[in-house]
Amino acid sequence: MPKPKMTVAIVTTYPPGQGSLNEYAYHFVRCLRQKQEVREIILLTDSLPEGRSYPLMGAVDAVPIRIVPCWRFGAWTNPLRILAAAWKVRPDIMLFNLQFATFGDRKIPAALGLLTPVCARVLGFPSVVLLHHLMEKIDLKSAGFGSRIEQVIRFFGTMLTRCLLMTNLVVLTMPQYVELLARKYGVNNVVLAPHGAFVETPSAIHAPSINAEDKHVLLTFGKFGTYKRVEQLLDAFVLLQTQQRPALELVIAGTDSPNAPGYLDAMRRRYAAVPNVTFTGYVPEAQVASVFNAATIVVFPYISTTGSSGVLHQAGEYGKAVVLPHIGDFAEVIAEEGYRGGFFEVGSVQSLAGAIAALLDNPQERAVMGQHNYSAAHSLPISDVVDWYLVHFQYLLDQRQRRKAHASTRISAKHGYSSRAHWTV
Amino acid sequence: MQVHVSQLNTVTLLALTGRFDAYSAPAIEVQLKSVSEQAPAYAIVDLSGVNFVDSTGLAILVQGMKRCRQHNGDVYICGVQQPVRIIFELTRFDTVFKMFSTQAAAVEACFLKV
Repeated sequence: MPKPKMTVAIVTTYPPGQGSLNEYAYHFVRCLRQKQEVREIILLTDSLPEGRSYPLMGAVDAVPIRIVPCWRFGAWTNPLRILAAAWKVRPDIMLFNLQFATFGDRKIPAALGLLTPVCARVLGFPSVVLLHHLMEKIDLKSAGFGSRIEQVIRFFGTMLTRCLLMTNLVVLTMPQYVELLARKYGVNNVVLAPHGAFVETPSAIHAPSINAEDKHVLLTFGKFGTYKRVEQLLDAFVLLQTQQRPALELVIAGTDSPNAPGYLDAMRRRYAAVPNVTFTGYVPEAQVASVFNAATIVVFPYISTTGSSGVLHQAGEYGKAVVLPHIGDFAEVIAEEGYRGGFFEVGSVQSLAGAIAALLDNPQERAVMGQHNYSAAHSLPISDVVDWYLVHFQYLLDQRQRRKAHASTRISAKHGYSSRAHWTV
Repeated sequence: MQVHVSQLNTVTLLALTGRFDAYSAPAIEVQLKSVSEQAPAYAIVDLSGVNFVDSTGLAILVQGMKRCRQHNGDVYICGVQQPVRIIFELTRFDTVFKMFSTQAAAVEACFLKV
């Protein structure tokens, strides 16, 4: 007997919303819509600013999708709003696409939001958390926290992680994350599902060593202002422009992190005198490919890391050489995922300029690195990763069904009926 | 990687040897696809000769299992060695696939189903 189809609710940010992980959600949902095990997808998203709305998505040859904006970044009431929305739509399973600051830039709303998955489980919805970052892997010292504050943050981070681990399943994107949580928290409901490549059918690498206007393009991409900061990169860019090589352009693509409003505007003003710098602002999904394709090198000006990097996967998908910070075990983490990069010391403008120059001046190394990263990024398309989730969802639903059947058998036995008689009624 | 395909009544047995990765995965994918088009759609994948499985290899097994289950069949896994078992445990596919320590046990379980 084929299994009944499932209704999946996903608590997430989603384009055109600009919250972190919106792009991952977009590609995940794009693939989920093609799966025949799914009856309907309900996105429980954050509300958009006044005057903006989520696009209507038809259901031609795809699983129907409903978008229910029901929570707001920074609001204390998010758990109640999300649970009320879930109660109304009654999904078979709930997936939470999360990192620690998904629900707010202040500690209390952020923490309250992270309690939602376990509350959903208590309400009877099988809950799966896709946790992109681990508190244990966030380099708080490099982010400027003193040791006392670091201890306090780590304590609350541990508590919140414990709460997330009280859901049915926590999905992590890297083997060492799974091992770490299993070891530290003594749990067995953590599971590995790789990040996956957004591009389904990879085309040949588009590798403009020098673009049409005869200049090298350095790209940095993301949501800036917290641990992704562009000051060091802009200073390094000034230094690189004094050296003899083809013209350079620096493209800073993306927006402020929701936790650092106004950051990029401040940078634009502060570095207004530096020529050949472009701030693109928000990059719509349709333009992401052209932004990456135009880049010679992708630079990751992080002052601390949170483990893996979604942008690194994207850079790999477009076959780009990358320059990364030398922080903690970041080099190991990306090597484990099969990526390669040039490294710089955080805080040293010379080191960053040197790492970029080394790749600018060595097209062969750039090409080899790009090819390497391209292979790593395309090893598993996100469509296959979505299958992994569906297999786990089905397993949870089957388990639930078995428990219900078992409970119903016990009740029948208590009331004097044989279980066989119960099932034949 | 080497793939030895044999037929035990209506059950297809795939015995793999070597590395099961992105390079060798397409061959297994073809085999599992053809099993899923049979009735009953049961396959046993013997991994006793496999010392490495990457995410692409796992994805092929998952797709095969999904397709076979959609056709009232299944993919059983047997003979998993320690390095490969770790991958199954990390992904918790050890709970999702029906796994057996020996080929004989998998065959017996399969025959009870078909």
